[in-house]
Amino acid sequence: MAPGKKITARIKRTLPVKGPQAPTLSELMRWYCLNTNTHGCRRIVVSRGRLRRFIWILLTLSAVGLILWQCAELLMNYYSASVSVTVQFQKLPFPAVTICNINPYKYSSMKDYLSELDKETKKALETFYGFSEGKSKVRRSVDEWNSTGSDFFKQIPLLKFEDFSKTATDLRSGQKRKIEGSVFHKDSSIVNSGDSNDIIGFQLCDANNSSECALYTFSSGVNAIQEWYKLHYMNIMAQIPLETKEKLSYSADDLLLTCFFDGLSCDKRHFTRFHHPLHGNCYTFNSGENGTILSTSTGGSEYGLQVVLYIDEADYNPFLVTSTGAKIIVHDQNEYPFIEDIGTEIETAAATSIGMHFTRSRKLSKPYSDCTETGADIPVENLYNKSYSLQICLHSCFQKAMVDSCGCAQYAQPLPAGAEYCNYKKNPNWMYCYYRLHEKFVKEQLGCQQICKDACSFKEWALTTSIAQWPSTVLPSVSPLRTDLANLMVFYKDLNERFISENPANTLVILLSNFGGQLGLWMSCSVVCVIEIVEVFFIDSLSIVMRRQWQKAKKWWNDRKRERPGKPPQADNLERQCHDNPVCIDEDLPTFNTALRLPLPQDNPLPRTPPPNYSTLRLETAFTEQLPDTLEVGQH
Amino acid sequence: MNLKKYFVRALHRLQKGPGYTYKELLVWYCDNTNTHGPKRIIKEGPKKKLIWFFLTLLFASLVFWQWGILINTYLSYNVTSSLSIGFKTMKFPAVTVCNANPFKYSEVKHLLKELDRLIEAALERILQPALGNSSENASPPLDLRLWHQIPLVLIDEHDKDNPVILDIFESNQACSHQGSDNCTYRNFTSAAQAVTEWYILQSTSILSKVPLQERIRMGYQAEDMILACLYGAEPCNYKNFTQIYHPDHGNCYIFNWGMDEEALNSSNPGAEFGLKLILDISQQDYIPYLSSAAGARLMLHQQKSFPFLKDQGIYAMAGTETSIGVLVDELERMGYPYSDCTNNGSDVPVKNLYSQYNTSYSIQACLRSCFQNHMTEICGCGHYMFPLPEGVNYCNNEDNPGWAYCYSSLRSSITHRQICIDSCKETCNDTQYKMTISMADWPSEASEDWIFHILSYERDMSTNVTLDRNGIIKLNIYFQEYNYRTISESAATTIVWLLSSLGGQFGFWMGGSVLCLIEFGEIIIDSLWITVINVISWCKGLKQKRAWWRLTPTWASSTRTQVPSPGTRRCPPSPAPPRPTTTRCVCSPWTSSVPTAMQKLSKQHAPAPPHGKLPSPCSVCHLLSNLLLFIEIRKELKSPGCAPLPDGSL
Repeated sequence: MAPGKKITARIKRTLPVKGPQAPTLSELMRWYCLNTNTHGCRRIVVSRGRLRRFIWILLTLSAVGLILWQCAELLMNYYSASVSVTVQFQKLPFPAVTICNINPYKYSSMKDYLSELDKETKKALETFYGFSEGKSKVRRSVDEWNSTGSDFFKQIPLLKFEDFSKTATDLRSGQKRKIEGSVFHKDSSIVNSGDSNDIIGFQLCDANNSSECALYTFSSGVNAIQEWYKLHYMNIMAQIPLETKEKLSYSADDLLLTCFFDGLSCDKRHFTRFHHPLHGNCYTFNSGENGTILSTSTGGSEYGLQVVLYIDEADYNPFLVTSTGAKIIVHDQNEYPFIEDIGTEIETAAATSIGMHFTRSRKLSKPYSDCTETGADIPVENLYNKSYSLQICLHSCFQKAMVDSCGCAQYAQPLPAGAEYCNYKKNPNWMYCYYRLHEKFVKEQLGCQQICKDACSFKEWALTTSIAQWPSTVLPSVSPLRTDLANLMVFYKDLNERFISENPANTLVILLSNFGGQLGLWMSCSVVCVIEIVEVFFIDSLSIVMRRQWQKAKKWWNDRKRERPGKPPQADNLERQCHDNPVCIDEDLPTFNTALRLPLPQDNPLPRTPPPNYSTLRLETAFTEQLPDTLEVGQH
Repeated sequence: MNLKKYFVRALHRLQKGPGYTYKELLVWYCDNTNTHGPKRIIKEGPKKKLIWFFLTLLFASLVFWQWGILINTYLSYNVTSSLSIGFKTMKFPAVTVCNANPFKYSEVKHLLKELDRLIEAALERILQPALGNSSENASPPLDLRLWHQIPLVLIDEHDKDNPVILDIFESNQACSHQGSDNCTYRNFTSAAQAVTEWYILQSTSILSKVPLQERIRMGYQAEDMILACLYGAEPCNYKNFTQIYHPDHGNCYIFNWGMDEEALNSSNPGAEFGLKLILDISQQDYIPYLSSAAGARLMLHQQKSFPFLKDQGIYAMAGTETSIGVLVDELERMGYPYSDCTNNGSDVPVKNLYSQYNTSYSIQACLRSCFQNHMTEICGCGHYMFPLPEGVNYCNNEDNPGWAYCYSSLRSSITHRQICIDSCKETCNDTQYKMTISMADWPSEASEDWIFHILSYERDMSTNVTLDRNGIIKLNIYFQEYNYRTISESAATTIVWLLSSLGGQFGFWMGGSVLCLIEFGEIIIDSLWITVINVISWCKGLKQKRAWWRLTPTWASSTRTQVPSPGTRRCPPSPAPPRPTTTRCVCSPWTSSVPTAMQKLSKQHAPAPPHGKLPSPCSVCHLLSNLLLFIEIRKELKSPGCAPLPDGSL
């Protein structure tokens, strides 16, 4: 015997081969039904009568269906969250309050930088609307025009369109000229184009490719002039270094006249300066910079922050800002104050009291909801030196896109590493690029809104404002200053903190016990019976079917062989012999019968010698049925 | 015949049940059930049997107690609310802006001329009651027709029980049309309030006669009112606004109503991405007595919903920039049976009159429609504040002289209000816009020159400034950093929860399932069947007994203690051929005597052979034999060949 065969024989001896529990499918089913722990199946077998058996089969099948359905429901509802709201009374930390003047820089000190731009604007107003402040002033500026005209206004003049026939009046020459390029807002979702005859706007062209032009139109001249002014203003401001800008803006002494907190007097040392690109110097009360955060132990306006602000209305830039007052924002010490977006405005000549209500909220992150804990998993670099928020992400994302596509950074947002602010001298193309990009950003084509996610936990101060006239008219001494003063009170309405937190509604334990409940209710089934089912229905049934197919195929093969002339009887005999001969098993799957009829006759010398011919093979068979054959041979 | 056969067969099949006696059935059930307790009761020894019996009872009662609690919990239909706050891309709310004043005074002056003169005279009287007569000479005679319909009166309440009522013009025609019983007085503490209310009542009565087109023309036009508009970075103009006529505020304009076009989305927080409007309210053209507040009325509401400005609108002051940060507050309720709300109003029994504006259902719309329906039913005309049902006109003093009285009595009636409140339901998805409002002066002193100039030029094409600080309003409406707060209800207990809890309890205590319950039901049916069989045989036994006693009445009465012994009565063998008996059981009454038959009947209650051992034809045979036996006895009684009993009592 070959060593390989020896090993296989040995394996077979030591590891007894066992097939499925029954030779046929129906017997297997019967065996399963009698031995399973699920309830329905046993009943099918135990019950007498065809009717009863049929009913039990039906019931069992419907129970299986119900289990599947209910478990699917449980799985689908697994990821839902419940929310708990707790209200606590405690000593509350006072939030940071950032106060800015709406006007960023003193107009008087900005004159040097903005004189040209202002002249241009006034000229535009005169040309288009016949507006002039004082005849003499304008005339002088017109005289000066040619001498100081800078390159930069020539590029982006204000234009006035007579209907949509693509002719426009140029501000500078007063001439009509043809306008090429796509009109930007023409096919936007919202504007009704082609109606009024006095549309005003400006044209931005790609500096590298002058045929690429974008036309910005506005339905009102107020918006157009402000927008145009702001564009040029940013150009100028981008060239001024930060230290100079801080000097040009309001100092703490300028802005804050008196200050009280928690009934005690405070001064400018309690405020931290913070330079905002669009609002100049802002002052943050309780910024937590020196490590201490003030807190209040009593609610009410007496114990909050009370400030009197001096708003120097005469020194306002007429074109940049059109409203008078201050802007404040209440925020956490770690948050960046987005004053331009969500600031609250404060009126002059009035006392504004702002009551706060503190809410803290905490969401569960993935997979319960799509929010981020720290912002670290978001592929946008946080340009602000503060903790993550949606606003920070959106602005950083835009700035990144701006640096990538325009090569310089937008003025209103912080600088990324290695970039500098756009100005006309260095990046002549930036305006066109910026507007294109901004358009895309608003229309959600930049993908920023998709990348940026909510923060999972946040603090919110809900504000309730009320306004009263201040100072009252009976105080004559302050009356000349009246319109320049604003009184502001920020306080906690009550000292309760609302904490909204999410907790998972389902745990794995609940899921499993619900599964168990469902399986038990319908069929008294358990994980064991699931395993049984897998064993019987998949492994055993499959092997039975496979074996049958194998035998069929083999039989067919042998039949074909037998039909062939030459050695058909040999094949027939070999097959018949192999049915029970353990030696032949090697080429065959272990059958039920062979498995039962082991052992292997080990020391049987007979099969070792290969049968030489037809007759000896017959002689050496071990079966009694073949006796007549041997007799026949004997008679020969 | 087939039917009968079928029934007999079904009978057989059912009879193949687990046994013929209750005890047998019970034992069989305990042995074969899948609930875990009963098996032990059968299998264990006598002491353990008792323990197991009580344990099983205890666990079964525990299970039922728990099931009761669970089902009760489910049927209470509790909800859990979940709250979420954050920012997401949302539909920008519809913004309705109106002027506080409904019509331009210059346009309606000719209609209100009489009324104005009347109110001026009345004011004069109120202010100087003593000098009244002397000053009247100068003015032309007043037309008192309007006055007589609803006069202004002074009520002197110095004497509480007997107030003195004085008409201001001293005409005694109070409550002229329907007698003084039908008068109601609305009293005010301040003359200013009374005069305003009176003026509103009179002027609306006058203006309701003017056709709608004319009224729209008399109001403020969009191009005059909306001077500048910017949404995000896109310009918009007055053509993006939908005009709607509001009875109190005249022409109102709705931005982003979502009727014809898609609603606009906003995906960025902050003022830069919101709506910026500049409005002109031209305060100099206000109707002097009608509206005392000057400004713009505005309201944020859902797309396709009707703006109820008078109830939910806010004012924006002239000469200021009003910034409104919006937080969308959504409430999502579960429908029936969790809470009583409606999805689209189709199940509310009130006809929604606001559906003519193509707007969706809201509880405000429902309450108003309900009131208007009542009004048209009772007063015969519709109130000008609400839309009209079909075929009804608005009330005015000429056609419906008593409408004001009818209206005020209807309005103060609590029962009518209650009917409306009861029939109207809240909407299941409720959206409100929480606003954080802040104001700053606008335009600033430095910039007001050029701003006014440009705006006047654009509106009137003139180089002169036609606008001033009193008439101009700037509005910024934008989403806050957290723009939604959603409170959504979800069912605290679902049917899935109920079933898994039921299954958990049953499985935990008894290892049972629904199939066990069905088994139990099967056993009950079996025992019912046994009962039926027993009852039938018992009845038959009773009849037989009766028949027996009738056969031997005197014998029975004389020898009651005597047991009739077999062989006392002898009947000749029946002439009918004996029925072939293929089964082992004896079922031919002809071969046996009557007393043996009786004994057989009386033994019917004895335990029958165990289930399945009795061949089925035999059991039918038993039934049949009983019947035949009965017939045979009757026959015997009549047959002359029957030997009389020894005592000859028959």
